[in-house]
Amino acid sequence: MPKWAMVFDLDKCTGCGACMAACKMENNVAIVDPEEAQAGRALFWMDMINAHEGEYPTVAIKRMPKPCFHCDNPPCTKVCPVRATYLNEDGLVAQIYHRCIGCRYCMAACPFTAKVFNWWDPRWLEGATTCFNPDVSLRMAGVVEKCSFCAHRLHHVNEVARVDDRALQDGEFMPACAENCPADAIYFGDLENKDSQVYKLSRSYRVSRVMEDLGVEPKVYYLARRTA
Amino acid sequence: MEIKRRDFLRLFGGISGALVLHGCGLDDVFDVPASLLEKAKNGSGLESWSNTICSLCPGGCGIQVRSIDGVPVYIRGNRVYPVNQGGMCPLGLNALHALYNPDRVKAPMRRSGDVGSGKWESVSWDDALRTVSEKLSGLRKEGKPHQVGFLGYEERGLMRDHISRFMRAYGSPNYYQFSLTQNDTVAYQLLQGHAQVPAPDLLNARLIVSFGANFLEAGYSPVYYTKLYSHHQERQTKYVQIESRMSLTGANADQWIPVRPGTYGALALGIAYVVIREELYDKEFVRDHTKGFEDWIDRGGKKHAGFKSFVLGNYYPERASEISGVPSATILELARQLGNTRPSLILGDGGAIANTNGTFALMAVHSLNALLGNFEREGGIYFINEPPFQKHPDVLEDAIAKAGNHQTPFAQSEDDSFPLTNFSIESFAKNVVAGRPYPLSVLFIYGGNPLFQTINHNDLANALEKIDLIVSFDSAINETSEYAHLILPDHMFLEKWGEVSNVPSVGFAHVGVQHPVVQPLHQTRHTGDVLIEIARHMGGAVGAAFPLNSYEEEIKFRMKGVYLSGEGAVASQGVRQLWLEYLQQRGWQIGRYASFEEFWDRLLENGGWWNPIRKKRNWASVFRTSSGKFEFYSQSLKASVDRLVDNSGGRQSLHNEDLVLNKLNISARGDGVFVPHHERVPYEDDLPLYLIPFHVLPNRDGQASNLPLMQEMFGYSANRYWSSWVEIHPETASEYDIADQAWVWVETSVGRVKVQAKLSHAIMPNVIAIPFGLGHTSSGRYAKGHGVNPHWILRNIYDPISGKPALEATKAGISLVI
Amino acid sequence: MDKSKILDSERDAPLFRPIYETGKGYYATGGVFLAIYLWSLYMYYTQVRSGLGVTGMNQPVTWGFYIVNFVFFIGISHAGTLISAILRLSKAEWRRPITRMAEVITAIVLAIGGLHPIIDLGRPDRMLSLLESGRLQSPLLWDVTSITAYFTASTVYLYLPMIPDIARIRDRGGKLKWLYTFMAWGWQGTEHQKRVLNRAINILMVMVIPIAVSVHTVISYIFSMTLQPGWHSTIFGPYFVAGAIFSGIAALLIVMIIFRKVFHFEDYLKQIHFQYLGTLLLIMSIVWFYFTFSEYLTGVFGGEPHEMNTILYKFTGPFAIFFWGMVFCNFVIPVTILSFRKLKTITGVLIASIAVVIGMWLERFIIVVPSLANPRMHLPLGIYIPTLVEWAMFAGGLSVFALGFMVFAKFFPLISIWEIEEGREHGIKEVEERIHSYLPGRELSSLKGEG
Ligand SMILES: Nc1nc2c(c(=O)[nH]1)N[C@H]1C(S)=C(S)[C@@H](COP(=O)(O)OP(=O)(O)OC[C@H]3O[C@@H](n4cnc5c(=O)[nH]c(N)nc54)[C@H](O)[C@@H]3O)O[C@H]1N2
Ligand SMILES: Nc1nc2c(c(=O)[nH]1)N[C@H]1C(S)=C(S)[C@@H](COP(=O)(O)OP(=O)(O)OC[C@H]3O[C@@H](n4cnc5c(=O)[nH]c(N)nc54)[C@H](O)[C@@H]3O)O[C@H]1N2
Ligand code: SF4
Ligand code: SF4
Ligand code: SF4
Ligand code: SF4
Ligand code: SF4
Ligand SMILES: [Mo]
Repeated sequence: MPKWAMVFDLDKCTGCGACMAACKMENNVAIVDPEEAQAGRALFWMDMINAHEGEYPTVAIKRMPKPCFHCDNPPCTKVCPVRATYLNEDGLVAQIYHRCIGCRYCMAACPFTAKVFNWWDPRWLEGATTCFNPDVSLRMAGVVEKCSFCAHRLHHVNEVARVDDRALQDGEFMPACAENCPADAIYFGDLENKDSQVYKLSRSYRVSRVMEDLGVEPKVYYLARRTA
Repeated sequence: MEIKRRDFLRLFGGISGALVLHGCGLDDVFDVPASLLEKAKNGSGLESWSNTICSLCPGGCGIQVRSIDGVPVYIRGNRVYPVNQGGMCPLGLNALHALYNPDRVKAPMRRSGDVGSGKWESVSWDDALRTVSEKLSGLRKEGKPHQVGFLGYEERGLMRDHISRFMRAYGSPNYYQFSLTQNDTVAYQLLQGHAQVPAPDLLNARLIVSFGANFLEAGYSPVYYTKLYSHHQERQTKYVQIESRMSLTGANADQWIPVRPGTYGALALGIAYVVIREELYDKEFVRDHTKGFEDWIDRGGKKHAGFKSFVLGNYYPERASEISGVPSATILELARQLGNTRPSLILGDGGAIANTNGTFALMAVHSLNALLGNFEREGGIYFINEPPFQKHPDVLEDAIAKAGNHQTPFAQSEDDSFPLTNFSIESFAKNVVAGRPYPLSVLFIYGGNPLFQTINHNDLANALEKIDLIVSFDSAINETSEYAHLILPDHMFLEKWGEVSNVPSVGFAHVGVQHPVVQPLHQTRHTGDVLIEIARHMGGAVGAAFPLNSYEEEIKFRMKGVYLSGEGAVASQGVRQLWLEYLQQRGWQIGRYASFEEFWDRLLENGGWWNPIRKKRNWASVFRTSSGKFEFYSQSLKASVDRLVDNSGGRQSLHNEDLVLNKLNISARGDGVFVPHHERVPYEDDLPLYLIPFHVLPNRDGQASNLPLMQEMFGYSANRYWSSWVEIHPETASEYDIADQAWVWVETSVGRVKVQAKLSHAIMPNVIAIPFGLGHTSSGRYAKGHGVNPHWILRNIYDPISGKPALEATKAGISLVI
Repeated sequence: MDKSKILDSERDAPLFRPIYETGKGYYATGGVFLAIYLWSLYMYYTQVRSGLGVTGMNQPVTWGFYIVNFVFFIGISHAGTLISAILRLSKAEWRRPITRMAEVITAIVLAIGGLHPIIDLGRPDRMLSLLESGRLQSPLLWDVTSITAYFTASTVYLYLPMIPDIARIRDRGGKLKWLYTFMAWGWQGTEHQKRVLNRAINILMVMVIPIAVSVHTVISYIFSMTLQPGWHSTIFGPYFVAGAIFSGIAALLIVMIIFRKVFHFEDYLKQIHFQYLGTLLLIMSIVWFYFTFSEYLTGVFGGEPHEMNTILYKFTGPFAIFFWGMVFCNFVIPVTILSFRKLKTITGVLIASIAVVIGMWLERFIIVVPSLANPRMHLPLGIYIPTLVEWAMFAGGLSVFALGFMVFAKFFPLISIWEIEEGREHGIKEVEERIHSYLPGRELSSLKGEG
């Protein structure tokens, strides 16, 4: 069984935010009204952590893109009363929008604040409803959503591989954020495949996961910034 | 037709996708357009990808557009396109929302009410074109073709040539490009003898010191730079960023050196002092390829002090430190690193040149490149050749056109406010208002939104009101096109033919070809085609200047030159720079195509052409000064000043020279005028804080403002949405009792704006910074009414040498909103 | 016959009076509460129509008033069944006039509290998914289960001891005879019936205690099963139960004092009842303090950064006013008032009780919001300002509580008549015998039989 994982090389990542935008476009994520966004209801599956460290003039701004970590021991799925979020056979933590009752328990339980909620019916740029990605279902008011690791792309490449009668290759399944990163800072692949790049990187001495001590086994790794 | 397995699969993928869409519980609560549901139910969902070039900014990234049944639904970076190699910026990824934007101008429109009234009536293309051509013909008949102006933005390459050709044939010298290179590059002109922006070799340099060039966030091609930057670790490159507010580039640099606004020239010279004193400079290069370094004696036997003497006499580190606020120890250390690390590279841009002393500042910065001998060498800077486009025969001007073209252009009329530059929006506006040297009757506006971008809103607005006929090609109604009488909307870039070539500072020659990936959604027309039509309407020599039927043919015609040259290659998988060089050394050529048609098809399929191989240049083409060298002592500046002095009554009286120099805001005298030096910025010293605007990646110039996603992401780096903020150092904030998130007034001598404070250690004390891009009063429903435009409260003050707005020359006060 | 005459002639007339006499004040008060309730219904309708966006919740503060009130109301519900069962079980004779009221509180408040998670749902229309695809792994489902069980048990537990009283009303004739006949379930007061009833009450009484404890423990689990700072605590179970009993007693006291005044129950609810319950409240206040102290001491002592963020947010941050207000209301006020005989008057007890109810509400708020507002990730702090809709739902909840009591009082006696009688008839003798049994000397035959 594959174990899809993502690695961010923070040495390369500039914090440009392209991954945030790519995700929004690929996954039909709604854009909320200005007042709503300011009130903390913006919907970003990929968010940006901005941390200022130190004091002027030896200050550092550390930026860190944050998708859902697709924990292998996910605290969010355990609490869901209706199995609307669960760890699937591909190791992805999935959401079933049409089953979710909107209790937001999974949000409260996620230590990484990775989930977002549709506080209203999603609204779209007028006229832009034509450019929905048909592979990704739309969400409705009252349900939770979050980064899916672009699971729909996995379905697609799996089908391609099946028709061609071969195994998936490393790099064939690429989420939108990784695909567009201008710094090539996002790696994506299968940890079970010992030849994959993510496997190798996940063994790097620079690697760490966010709050590893919680034991939730995130499948998103960060390669620390080296200081010059 | 044989259905391939893949296609079948795509079909299948489309169907399953559609089912997801339909079956996901889309009940009444969500209003999915019926047409979409229809498509989801019935459509086969055939997927296709096509390559084109993003032109939402001048970055020129290659993109791949995914369409389902011909409807574009997603954009990603084109892996094989050499500029961005698959990378994207947030803005480009959001391009589809520009395509489907509800506020696009959907058909030609004539204004039927006052400016800003929002009253427009649609007109047919035929009527609109007739109106324009009749007006133009009339002016020609009256012998006044020069009273027609064309204000472009920063179109380069073929479109610029196309417009120039139109104006030449018609008979007006008044084609200007608002913004960018013209004003930014005067310093290069003065030192190198040409204004070409150098391409820095970030990949091979080991130390990169940037003076205010925020290349990762707002460089000419942010994605290209980010790609190069991403190799910094394996190549052991060290980045040093010098700027008053830590930008995205600063945050990613190994070292951030805060500098007082308006003093970066002094800092550069302080560094030069150490490099010269400790003899760390490239003596060979300086000896062979520069002029005015050592003291020298001119033909008349007069002794002149050289750059070296000036620097050693004036810019000892303590003094540079006092001016710039950078500790002298830092200056010493940085200078020694620069001198001892090779190759080390200097960049200068952005804030560095956005001040009254910007030209001299950039000269000082660029001089460091000369001291380090960085020209045309690995890890240094290069100049890139133009792609070998096929040329049109010269325009045959008729008599009327000839006379018109000989008139004094507008921006350089009697009012010599910016005598050393071809164009400044400031003098343009002033001269139009004054009708000097003649009134302006017709103005074409292509792209650009100068009324939002500039700081002299009033002058420009007055100027626009004086013009009989303003024709805008804009595809949106923005602050500027509100003034238009007629809007002839251009296609959005995904709908049109176009070309983006040689983006400044990209390290190789390249041409990206845009072609329509979707049929135009509205009744828009390509401005290139419209110009051809207008010319044909007028007939005669003007019409004859355009033998080709469309802009598409134009591109094709000119690309033939590229094909015939046999140089470079169509961008493709695996063709990397080294590989190409290897082949070339063996005399092979990639990309032998049976015919131009084949070449053309491959070009469209892959997105573009490039030539990474730089021919060794001879020094005469690197430095096109009269001495053929890099001129520390700028002879062209000397010549210009002399000319001005002569014009104002000659050298007999020293007074005349003083007058000229004062007007140019030059306090130096004698030889010191012509070498890079620091000039004081005339700050209003009674106000306590420096106010600087800055850019954020999703919306650098404000053109992204009608894209809701970019508005939402506007403050992603500060966790703010759709709103402006002012960054302020906690120490400074505490002086004014300002807490994080508090609402404050930022007040200058021009006016005041209300914004929320953001306390940050990543900005100098006593400097405050407001992001640029919000505060639209027009430009569409998502743009209007969010945040503030810091330009509202900037002083109307310029770099008198280059005519560039001095965006960082304003001081301000700050107070809590009560 | 004139009803009031009958009443006058009867010994426990004041207990029947509310059923037969309805004043203007009743309609006025009822009208006000009804209006508030209808308004809250309308507000809920707007929420259902447009989504939870009408509330002040956001990311990361994904839970707000609804969950706070859920915990609060369910806590209050421990007044009844739990307290009454404990008192019954411990054969406290002074319980007789208060058990009914306590049980009514439970039934009404439990219904209100139990609705809150539903009000909080983004998709209430999919509630039935809980049956279709419910997963027992989720503490939320444990909750549904235990609350349902508690509600069932406590309504039965309310109903059973009401049967003899209902029979009495039936026997008087008058309005709604069919209803009373139906509900009296053929009660004739035979010895056999009495024995069965007592046996049933005894069984329920024993059953209801663990169920009640489980309810609040499970509610605490909703929080403590997550890894969130400020929530992931092992003492949350007992802490919540203690808090629930604490707030339950306070609510009971308030209700008793109000009805004593309104329905002139002075003769039934005497100083001594308030003294005893007041003492119980004092004890619970100290117990509450003990738990709170342990909870925060361990947090502060460990000093884990994320934990400290939330703790400081409560101690000195924007929530300080709520936190210290809570300590003041839950500890300082009740302990001051209830420790001194002089202050421990009925008014004193009322003040202390009101303070405790407010304090316990603040405690729930202090538990739910700050943990969410301080996410572990480096995000901006969350803000949460409840909107009108949320206030409306809170006000609606309180109105339903008042309305529930008013309606109940119209149909059934608020004080168990037969139990009072039983007290008069058998209680005194029984207590005397019991006390004898505690003392050295002869064995009692009845006790021998049981032994
Ligand atoms: N995404 C996106 N990218 C773009 C564009 C866009 O619209 N969107 N536009 C493109 C265009 S048209 C252009 S011209 C380029 C412009 O590219 P740049 O000229 O590189 O960009 P600016 O934002 O002007 O850079 C200003 C920087 O200088 C710093 N600075 C300010 N004052 C001083 C000073 O006194 N001294 C020093 N040393 N530094 C100072 C500021 O902090 C800021 O970081 O960007 C291009 N890139
Ligand atoms: N404060 C401040 N001001 C600046 C600068 C700065 O750094 N700071 N930078 C200066 C610089 S470097 C620049 S480049 C300018 C940028 O200034 P402008 O070139 O004015 O850029 P935008 O405001 O983005 O305006 C672009 C307009 O072009 C229109 N448009 C978009 N696509 C098309 C198309 O395909 N065809 C046509 N016909 N129109 C189109 C859009 O409607 C939009 O209104 O700003 C200058 N002004
Ligand atoms: S796109 Fe890449 S470089 Fe940009 S923020 Fe995301 S990970 Fe970092
Ligand atoms: S990051 Fe959060 S939402 Fe994602 S799997 Fe882990 S706990 Fe669940
Ligand atoms: S909000 Fe939806 S996914 Fe999350 S726990 Fe509740 S039902 Fe499950
Ligand atoms: S993996 Fe896909 S869903 Fe997740 S953040 Fe990236 S683009 Fe979004
Ligand atoms: S950098 Fe410019 S050209 Fe490249 S994707 Fe972004 S907006 Fe488009
Ligand atoms: Mo520009």
